[in-house]
Amino acid sequence: MAAIILDNLSKTYKVKVKGEGFSNTLRSLVKPEYKSVEAVKKVSFAVDEGEMLAFIGPNGAGKSTTIKMLTGILHPTSGEAEVLGLNPVKERKILSYKIGAVFGQKSQLSFHLPPLDSFRLLSSVYEIEKDLYEKRLKRLTDLLELGEFLDSPVRKLSLGQRVRCEFAASLLHAPKILFLDEPTIGLDVVVKHKIRDLIKRLNKEEGVTVFLTSHDAGDVENLCRRAIVIDHGCVAVDMSVKKMKYDYLNKKVVSLKFSEQASLQDMKGVNILKSTPYAVKFSVDTRTVPIGKVLAGLDSDNLADITIEEPPMEEIIAAIYTNGREVG
Amino acid sequence: MFTEVKKHIKLIFKYFTFNLSAIAEYRTSFFVQVFGMALNNASFAFFWWVLFDKLGGGIGGYGFRDVMFLWAVASTGFGLAHVFFANMNNISGMIMTGELDTYLLQPKNPLINSIAARMSATSWGDFLYGIILMLLIKASGMMWIMFAISIFTAAILITSIAVAGHSLTFYFGNMEAVGRTLWEFTITFSIYPETIFRGPVKALIMTALPIGFITHIPLRMVYNFSWGTLFLLLGVAITYALFAFALYMFGLKRYESGNLIITRM
Amino acid sequence: MSKYLAMAGISIKNSLVYRANVTGRIIFYFVFIFVFFSLWSMVYSGNEIAGYSLRQMIWYVCMTELVVFCSGSGIFGIMNHEVKSGEIAYQLVRPWNYVYKQFASMLGNITFSALVFTLMAIILGMVFAGPLKGFNAAAIPFIVVSFLLSIAMNFFFLMSLGLLAFYFEENGPFYFIYQKLLFVFGMLLPIEFLPLWAQGILRYLPFSLITWGPAKMVVDFSYGYAMEIIPLQIIWCIGAIALAQFVFSRGVRKVNVHGG
Repeated sequence: MAAIILDNLSKTYKVKVKGEGFSNTLRSLVKPEYKSVEAVKKVSFAVDEGEMLAFIGPNGAGKSTTIKMLTGILHPTSGEAEVLGLNPVKERKILSYKIGAVFGQKSQLSFHLPPLDSFRLLSSVYEIEKDLYEKRLKRLTDLLELGEFLDSPVRKLSLGQRVRCEFAASLLHAPKILFLDEPTIGLDVVVKHKIRDLIKRLNKEEGVTVFLTSHDAGDVENLCRRAIVIDHGCVAVDMSVKKMKYDYLNKKVVSLKFSEQASLQDMKGVNILKSTPYAVKFSVDTRTVPIGKVLAGLDSDNLADITIEEPPMEEIIAAIYTNGREVG
Repeated sequence: MFTEVKKHIKLIFKYFTFNLSAIAEYRTSFFVQVFGMALNNASFAFFWWVLFDKLGGGIGGYGFRDVMFLWAVASTGFGLAHVFFANMNNISGMIMTGELDTYLLQPKNPLINSIAARMSATSWGDFLYGIILMLLIKASGMMWIMFAISIFTAAILITSIAVAGHSLTFYFGNMEAVGRTLWEFTITFSIYPETIFRGPVKALIMTALPIGFITHIPLRMVYNFSWGTLFLLLGVAITYALFAFALYMFGLKRYESGNLIITRM
Repeated sequence: MSKYLAMAGISIKNSLVYRANVTGRIIFYFVFIFVFFSLWSMVYSGNEIAGYSLRQMIWYVCMTELVVFCSGSGIFGIMNHEVKSGEIAYQLVRPWNYVYKQFASMLGNITFSALVFTLMAIILGMVFAGPLKGFNAAAIPFIVVSFLLSIAMNFFFLMSLGLLAFYFEENGPFYFIYQKLLFVFGMLLPIEFLPLWAQGILRYLPFSLITWGPAKMVVDFSYGYAMEIIPLQIIWCIGAIALAQFVFSRGVRKVNVHGG
């Protein structure tokens, strides 16, 4: 069952064009010129209930615009979006009861008050029945380990604590879909893991659909099964994260440690990254030469240690960004 | 439709208690600001007292108590408006920074939701000052009656004018200055005797920008009550509120069509 | 001295960026004068009140407002911010006198708006009141000096109040009280409206000297008056500067000792 459906969703903005300088400013006041900017061009895809999708792309690619159209904040120029069977624009209010969002810089919490107070206010906004609210609050407090600071003013909390509270705030009304925009930005490794675990648990235990935007490759790798890369308003890549990792760059990185000094012969498709008398690190272009052949050419008696890795997710994503639509 | 209105009224009161706690966090600052406002209002009272004393008679048909009545209604009405809807002057800011989006994601009317989200601590000073002033001038029974009614219509009009002004940001880009200026006009024009304004200005404050209905009409009714005028007052307040609401909502539609944006993103 | 001029220069450049803010204040200025024009027109029936004619009253208000607008009351907030954020401690490292530096910056910042406001003040006066009878061009240098002294006095007093942030978490009350004293003792009404005994005291206190001082010189100049007011302004100006320097140096030392 599809939770989110996009069908040729497009958004074109009209931007005023104005040249530099005073005379141009005057001209634009009298006869304004407009330029069309196609932020999102006929994007189509579907997200199933309970799926965790990474929606990534370079800055300015159209991610925020797309999310805004899905949450009903922005009207599409053409095409359709359907979220939980509802039209986000026409039925925004009904939809808002069923979706939650954690948007990077925007906070739902009062800066001066303890999170608990903000939660209570939100329970009024979302008309959550008292018993249900208490139960839900307890569950989220346990899940996110908020107990210690629920009563401290938000301004006294660390970034990690604040983010956990923002999550709780967005989940109080048990939304079916969670839209996350850069949720782990600025957090330390431990907190990032906590947040990721929370998201995974929610997804597993409650079937919450997760629509995640992040520049953090770790988020993508650890959370999502599927990733859609959007660039210049179009879908560039739509594949499983696994496939992206293993198949996209057709590259493997091998690190060798020798017992005795040795060096690697030149081989086509092999690119030496680092080389010292006792160790060497190289990448293998698996389209040119199968990894097996490379390994077969090594002197196994001399090998003290070997590590074979996929390129880091960052590299893969960076490559996708730069290559755009050039994908397998 | 009616349940929606009820829900929103409930929301406004929830915000009220919520905001009150937020302010209480900053007790010292609160008292200081209230002190500041009280001092400000008191200096104007001093000004008028000196003036009336020097001149000996009335000013434009107004006596000292009459001018103080204007102040009392304006002050308490203003205080009331800002205790509940202090964010009214931030509407332009919220639109330009995208903070409005947070409210759009919630299942409540974005205007009510966003303007109720803040309470101005200072305004409690204004609210109380008007009442204290009424006591100090030994207001007549009729003055009290009109005071009690007009502080609400005043609050509605003050809020509506600010909302209308700031809503222009939806249509013309950052109109924060306009909204703020209108709001200042409103206060400034309502605390001086009606009779000093003539011609086009008089016409303006009795029609398109019903500032005259905030304090001047209520004072007229103190001396010359008529049910007709009372209904007119209520009618103007409600009509203008609806007008401001509509202006905002239509502007919001434009916002959602994305015509404002690119800077925001 | 030249480095302060340079700072003023940069401030002028920066201030041109904030034109929007100036527009808002111009509008407010206009509205304010308009309201007072309406008020005084109705109050006066051709005669004089407390020694001032209608025309003089209107010009008076234009001038007092001008002084206040030009003084850059923002300095209070700036001082507050610098103290509370701790940035001020770094100022000791700089090769200039902090108090003078702030003044130079302010001058630069307001030069543009001061010129605009002065023009506005004159236009408003002309439009609403018409030319002042018996205005003596020879008075102009005295007027300018008096204005500058007022602006300086106001600035340094506000700066001192702002610097009180070193000692008081909430120094807002001082600001309010000061502003209202200015307001009540000269901005809206010349002190001649007050009882004689009050006038006697106020003539020597800085509050009236800041607003009523130069404004009276514009509407009702006399050499005797100038000789009375200007020296007093000078004395208080020196006092204000000394106060600011004092609060600053004491405050900064306190910060350095306690770690801010």
